[in-house]
Amino acid sequence: MTARLFRTFILRHLAREPVRTATTVAGIALGIGVVIAIQLTNASSVRGFETALDTVSGKASIEITGTGGIDETRLASLGWLREFGVVSPVIEGEMAIVTGGEAGIRPRRTEAVKVLGVDILRDRTVRDYDVTSFVKAGADDGTRLSDGAAPSLSSQAFLELLTSPDSIVITEKLARRRGYVLGSRLELLAGDRVKTYVVRALLADQGPARVMDGSFVLMDIAAAQLAFDRLGRIDRLDVPVEHAGSALDPSRAPTSAELTAAEASIAARLPAGLSATTPSRRGRQVEKMLAAFHLNLSALSWVALVVGLFLVYNTATVSVLARRDEVGMLRALGVTRRHVLGLFLAEAALLGGVGTALGLGLGRVLADLAVGVTGSTVSTLYIATAAAPPDLTAAHVVLAFAIGVPLSIVAALVPAREASLVPPTAAMRGSDRLATRRRMRPRAFVAPALVLVVALWLATLGPIDGRPLFAYAAAFFTIIGVSLLVPAIIFLTARLLAAPLRRGLGVVGILAHAHFTAAIPRLAISVAALSVALAMMVAIAVMVGSFRDTVVYWVGQTLQADLFVGPGVRPTPGSRQTLSPDIVEILQAHPGVAAVDTFRNLDLVYQGNLVVLGAGQFKAPRDGAAAMARASGTDAVVVSEAFANKYAVAPGAVIRLDTPAGETPFTVAAVYYDYAVDRGIVVMDRPVFAKYYGDLPPTSAAVYLKADADPERVRADILASMDEGHRAFIYTNRALRTEVLRIFDSTFAITYALELIAIAVAMLGVAGTLLTLVLERRRELTMLRLIGALKVQVERVIVVEAALIGTASMAIGLVTGLALSLLLVYVINVQSFGWTIQFRVPAAFLAQVSAAVIAATAIAGLYPARRASRLAVERHEE
Amino acid sequence: MPLLVADALEKTYTEGATAVAALRGVSLTLEAGDFVALTGPSGCGKSTLLHLCGAMDRPSAGRLAIEGRDVGRLDDDALTRLRRDRIGFVFQFFNLLPTLTIGDNIALPCLLAGNPAATAEARARTLADRVGIGHRLTHFPQQVSGGEAQRAAIARALVHEPALLIADEPTGNLDSANGATVLALLADLNRDLGVTVLLATHAADVAAAARRTVRMRDGRLDAA
Repeated sequence: MTARLFRTFILRHLAREPVRTATTVAGIALGIGVVIAIQLTNASSVRGFETALDTVSGKASIEITGTGGIDETRLASLGWLREFGVVSPVIEGEMAIVTGGEAGIRPRRTEAVKVLGVDILRDRTVRDYDVTSFVKAGADDGTRLSDGAAPSLSSQAFLELLTSPDSIVITEKLARRRGYVLGSRLELLAGDRVKTYVVRALLADQGPARVMDGSFVLMDIAAAQLAFDRLGRIDRLDVPVEHAGSALDPSRAPTSAELTAAEASIAARLPAGLSATTPSRRGRQVEKMLAAFHLNLSALSWVALVVGLFLVYNTATVSVLARRDEVGMLRALGVTRRHVLGLFLAEAALLGGVGTALGLGLGRVLADLAVGVTGSTVSTLYIATAAAPPDLTAAHVVLAFAIGVPLSIVAALVPAREASLVPPTAAMRGSDRLATRRRMRPRAFVAPALVLVVALWLATLGPIDGRPLFAYAAAFFTIIGVSLLVPAIIFLTARLLAAPLRRGLGVVGILAHAHFTAAIPRLAISVAALSVALAMMVAIAVMVGSFRDTVVYWVGQTLQADLFVGPGVRPTPGSRQTLSPDIVEILQAHPGVAAVDTFRNLDLVYQGNLVVLGAGQFKAPRDGAAAMARASGTDAVVVSEAFANKYAVAPGAVIRLDTPAGETPFTVAAVYYDYAVDRGIVVMDRPVFAKYYGDLPPTSAAVYLKADADPERVRADILASMDEGHRAFIYTNRALRTEVLRIFDSTFAITYALELIAIAVAMLGVAGTLLTLVLERRRELTMLRLIGALKVQVERVIVVEAALIGTASMAIGLVTGLALSLLLVYVINVQSFGWTIQFRVPAAFLAQVSAAVIAATAIAGLYPARRASRLAVERHEE
Repeated sequence: MPLLVADALEKTYTEGATAVAALRGVSLTLEAGDFVALTGPSGCGKSTLLHLCGAMDRPSAGRLAIEGRDVGRLDDDALTRLRRDRIGFVFQFFNLLPTLTIGDNIALPCLLAGNPAATAEARARTLADRVGIGHRLTHFPQQVSGGEAQRAAIARALVHEPALLIADEPTGNLDSANGATVLALLADLNRDLGVTVLLATHAADVAAAARRTVRMRDGRLDAA
């Protein structure tokens, strides 16, 4: 009987109301879609890096690293590592394939490739290479040495050809994609240097060749050192542990315990300045670095879902109201309360299930879009990754249904219960009234006040593991507290607007106001939903606006040089793309140049986290800070505010940094504002840096011009004087400022997109609620028509009511949003990124948004208004 | 010219595949100033006839003219204007809007017709005084008694000075004392204002208040 009741009573009804059914399903689908999309997107940036790590790391291995690389002269003292197996030195980095012909510096026509420089003879025991074909040494015309027969890696000829400094091996995938064959010449850009290489062999799609979708180049380690300007240094030593000593059986993979033991015994014997790590730990460091960024996106994505659930509540309410008589009939015929409850919950589960299924597909599509947006943010600000969202896995499907269906059922609980309480007599009478309320009870303020106090208290608590979890809880409690206050706020809004509506809109105003006031209990939910979405938008607008103002100010203060020069491969913070001495010479030689500062960045592991170590000249011409001047030449550093906040250091504190000579204490001389790198920067004077880390080539340069020099002209001169073999970015001060803001704006594009989705879903909710109200008040509305209200007058009443909902929601959204923005700016932002932001309210923007939201809610009222005006007049007594 | 002329009115409702004939050829004439009671058992079609006479609906066949205007040829807006300007309604359940004050409820038809608020309020006050609820104007419908609410509904039905007052069981939800007051009020208004009243009821004592009684059965008028 149940199945049959469900079919006739629920399914038929859903089919009869296609617009409402579709709206609800769309709402859930959007909510779930956004959540899944953000999960996929977040996973993509970490996973992109991890796959790169895994594939390039090869078999389970231990990596010996040192800050700034390992000086080759130290390798002699590491001979004992051979006890653990083959030791393979590695150079790893990114290059760009140059396809643009001109000597300019346009970066558009380049494709990033991962480059691995190894000693091929040793490394083939670490990583799996499958060379499918290669050319004979000296035969650049592409003659194949071995055709058809599987070539052997140990072939002497192959080794000879690979050790030549212009030889590279590329993947078959890359060759196919770009039309390269054996013997093709490739221009590769490393740092600011373009060099031509010859493809000598092709790799099958396995092992490290799978990295970055086949964008992988293998070369001899010496050639890589030359290309990356890392002469005399290697990046790390890879020690595969399946050969790690006699204790292990080489025929099976080592367990993680064995790996840990091997790592510990290696670490114990390593000299100061070197450390042992595993690829998975490196992956975790990156994950941690991105955690705050990802958490923020996830938090936002949940807002869309919450708002989507309000839609389920709405639909369930409508479907109960529209069928009160039928429910009464069922009850009169002996269907039990529990049965009725079950029917409506099953309806919610069905809607939730269909919405979730669609949401999964939508999430996959949204993820592609989102990865495009966040991928560039992640690679601009954090790490270079190959941005492609991972495939949906069974885990995602389970997650989506585990969220979508139960939450839909929860959202429908209240209306379903209402349905189960419909008395059997309802079928006979059919007269039900909305509860009307004209006074607020002071008691109604107790619960929200308590919740808001808890929110305030939570906001004062510190982060957990660098994540502002309490602050998010505070935001959540603020939203709950305000939602509880919504009835009171709507009531006040209604009272304030009563007189202006009567004066301004006459009878339509009177009626809209009356309906609005009467429906407060019903409206509270959808006003709360819309308010939450709007509050988030306001909060983020204020936060981003404040942040942007701060960055503009900071850029104005910090970017003092006239020209900024970087390598042609766009560097990410901590990347080791370098400028060659030739370029620095060209800069210094120009008659318009007054001074050139060079900078050097390195990745530094500090307390298990990745930070950026930078070296610059403390005695820069326009550098006024006295503290920095005093720190010049001493073992002192200045740290960015993000670093100071994260690791709780203040000027005068001593921090211990890894140097090739082992851990060394440095005094913090000053803390400076920086908004580019949230993981924290430690800067030391160039001579001090050189003393500990060696005289590494610079990663960028700042050029100060003489008073009468024109930056654009000097830039053009310098670009013109670079030869074919060099490519560098040169930004004028103004262009760099523009670029900084462009990056800034693109970083927050996804934020706004998420917000717009949440607001769109909330608008659907408003339309749904109005529809509910129209059904609930059909007797009143037909009575209005009966006593002479024209269709258009009824429509106007509903549209004005919709606009009132928009106004109340926007008012609540503005106030709550400002409160949340304080939380974002002063708590969440400080805890996750460690930045001081100047609080600014973008008043003009908020005014525009408010007007747009009120207009949009009025538009959302159009469909319910049409339904209201079409109620049949002669059925006024039903 | 008679106020209302119904000639061989038919009304058929279709519910899915089945058609139900509610009116099967009703002819009726109301002169200006008439007070007619329409009686008959449930399902006899008196509500349908009342709907047609109140310009809420159009007949399926036959002709219905109110003040010479053919109801069957009017579109929805024209029907609405006809109701708004020429007809007042009183029902069993008082059908005041619960969210408006008694004063606003009474003034509503005037306001909907686009009269200035001051005019509408003045007329509402006059009529409220006339029906004896002048002291209740700022109250809400739930705050007054059933009899007072029904008197407010009558005031609302007359505030725009209609030619025809349609009353469907106006005393059906009232105790006998309040019912008698309301009936007396309708009779007074019919006499004093000259408004034509068409009243549907089951109750013989209510019908007795009218000057003329028309009986219905199975969608037709009983030959009286």
